[in-house]
Amino acid sequence: MGLMGNLVGAELRKTTTTGLWWGLLIPTAVLALGWGLATGLLGQFFVDFASSGDVDEVSDFLGVTPDQWKVSLFGMARAINISTIFPMIFGAMAISGEISRRTITTTFLTAPSRMHALLAKMLVYVLWGAIYGLAIMLFLGIGVVITSDSGQLPDAGGWAMLTLVCVLSSILMTMFGVGVGALVPNVAGAIVLLLIYFVVIENVVHGVLAYLQVPAVIGFLPNGSINGLTGSVAVDLFLSSAGVVPTEIEDVLRAIAGAAGAQDWWLSGIVFLGWAGVVFAGGWAVTQSKDIT
Amino acid sequence: MHDGSGLIAVQNLTKQFGPVTAVQNLSFTVSPGSVTGFLGPNGAGKTTTLRMLLGLVKPTGGTATINGRPFHQLGQPGRVVGAVLEAQGFHPARSARNHLRVYASAIGVPDAQADQVLGLVGLGSAADRKVGGFSLGMKQRLALATALLGDPQVLVLDEPANGLDPEGIAWLRTFLQSYARMGRTVLISSHLLAEVEQTVDQVVIISRGQTMFYGPLDQLRQSQQRRVLVQPSDINALANALRAAGVQMIEQLPDGRLAVSGVDSRQVADLALQAGVSIYGIQEEQIDLERLFFQLTSGQYAGYAPAQAPFKQQGGWA
Ligand SMILES: Nc1ncnc2c1ncn2[C@@H]1O[C@H](COP(=O)(O)OP(=O)(O)OP(=O)(O)O)[C@@H](O)[C@H]1O
Ligand SMILES: [Mg+2]
Repeated sequence: MGLMGNLVGAELRKTTTTGLWWGLLIPTAVLALGWGLATGLLGQFFVDFASSGDVDEVSDFLGVTPDQWKVSLFGMARAINISTIFPMIFGAMAISGEISRRTITTTFLTAPSRMHALLAKMLVYVLWGAIYGLAIMLFLGIGVVITSDSGQLPDAGGWAMLTLVCVLSSILMTMFGVGVGALVPNVAGAIVLLLIYFVVIENVVHGVLAYLQVPAVIGFLPNGSINGLTGSVAVDLFLSSAGVVPTEIEDVLRAIAGAAGAQDWWLSGIVFLGWAGVVFAGGWAVTQSKDIT
Repeated sequence: MHDGSGLIAVQNLTKQFGPVTAVQNLSFTVSPGSVTGFLGPNGAGKTTTLRMLLGLVKPTGGTATINGRPFHQLGQPGRVVGAVLEAQGFHPARSARNHLRVYASAIGVPDAQADQVLGLVGLGSAADRKVGGFSLGMKQRLALATALLGDPQVLVLDEPANGLDPEGIAWLRTFLQSYARMGRTVLISSHLLAEVEQTVDQVVIISRGQTMFYGPLDQLRQSQQRRVLVQPSDINALANALRAAGVQMIEQLPDGRLAVSGVDSRQVADLALQAGVSIYGIQEEQIDLERLFFQLTSGQYAGYAPAQAPFKQQGGWA
């Protein structure tokens, strides 16, 4: 095994020899399951309401009867956005945790360079991001299937596509967390900053941008782009099984999916990867020149 | 790649932390085959120097190399140099064995090496306990085990005796000496000369970030003259006899004894016999290295005796 392989092995062992990975995986799974169950129930409620007669015009627009609307897609997109906050926190503790506990000293003493150590860490956390992503999809899927009618569920291709963006989204969020954890070398500080940013700050900014009638900017912000990755897929999948949909309705659907102003799913992913890269580069620069005393 | 010489070279090393000069123009070399003590009082700059040597702190000026290379050019540093540093961290939830396996993987040595070093430092029976529950001395032993994982050519230890019990200290002493005798390099810091006096062959003494003495311990011993303390029946008669024999440095101590420099106790006893003076007691003064060390490093952060202690801080830790 090469040098890098050794370091990746070491970083992997670091994550498996403490309980943090499952300590965070449990709430992640519970949250995904809960959202899944709620998604089915809400979808059912909505479909019953839409089928009750008064809203026939909408179903005409969409070209299919309400009981065939794949409404679960929206809840699933939202569930992925929320649940991936946990892998992001997991990532945020990767470097900040080592600095707080001073284990970073031994890490740097046993690596050819700080860059080697950080890259190995990033690779391992990409793997963890994927594991979290799969777990989220699994529990979300279980929840949704339990409470939804088959008419509201995506087809096999839809499931595959959702799984793909869920895993991608989870990996990207984890990477973003790793970068922030390097930039803010304090566990509590990094986590609080991430939560405040993703839960509060950017949502306020989204509101302002929508008010200023420049929603397209949202799709280029960190939270806007990562939501766009899942949200755009959800909307695309929904529309693919509906008929002709006017643009105004499509915008509403995007907003429901949490992807207002978002680009195509793949472009959203690339935009967020860019953000993760910028943050990691910043964290790397800080860590590279830091005196470890 | 590095030259495999086992040589540590510190040249004009300087570190400034904002307004604080932690290390100032420090130079010394450490050769393989001997244990070198790196001594200085609190805040002298020992830890900072060692961390610069290990690539953890960036020097403001000068260089520090191991095997002719700065740390980050060693390739696989874990196999060249092992280090125990002050306040080195452990994850409290990780067991000692798992801690070592993490770094065994990083260094690229087999997992069996983890158990071997655990046994070596006497932690074999605590291998599966979480490090969070370890005592200070156990953590220190685990840090040493970590340093030994890669079977390194160079050992750098910052106050490794901290928290060790007498048995542990005695073990460490023999261990380091035999390690050096295998042709390896050992650099060990301490703020107590007495603590390492029996372990080290060479010393580097620093104070306020600067070198005060650098050389073999024996040379330091010789720099202070050995005196013979003698209690004769007739002080004046013995003093005269000594002077007649060409001994000049004679001093009367407050307790009534004579302190004679430049001769050994046999010569003094022979001269006393010739002069017909009885000797009630004679001894060669023990060299007080600690006192010498004090003189060399005096007073960077000297405390006050309680009676004089003013309630304002002067040149203290602040
Ligand atoms: N990260 C830091 N920031 C600011 N000053 C520092 C830092 N690290 C060390 N110093 C200062 O540098 C000086 C040397 O400290 P250092 O820890 O190297 O001393 P030491 O010889 O190891 O002391 P001790 O015997 O107490 O361990 C001290 O004045 C200390 O306050
Ligand atoms: Mg120190």
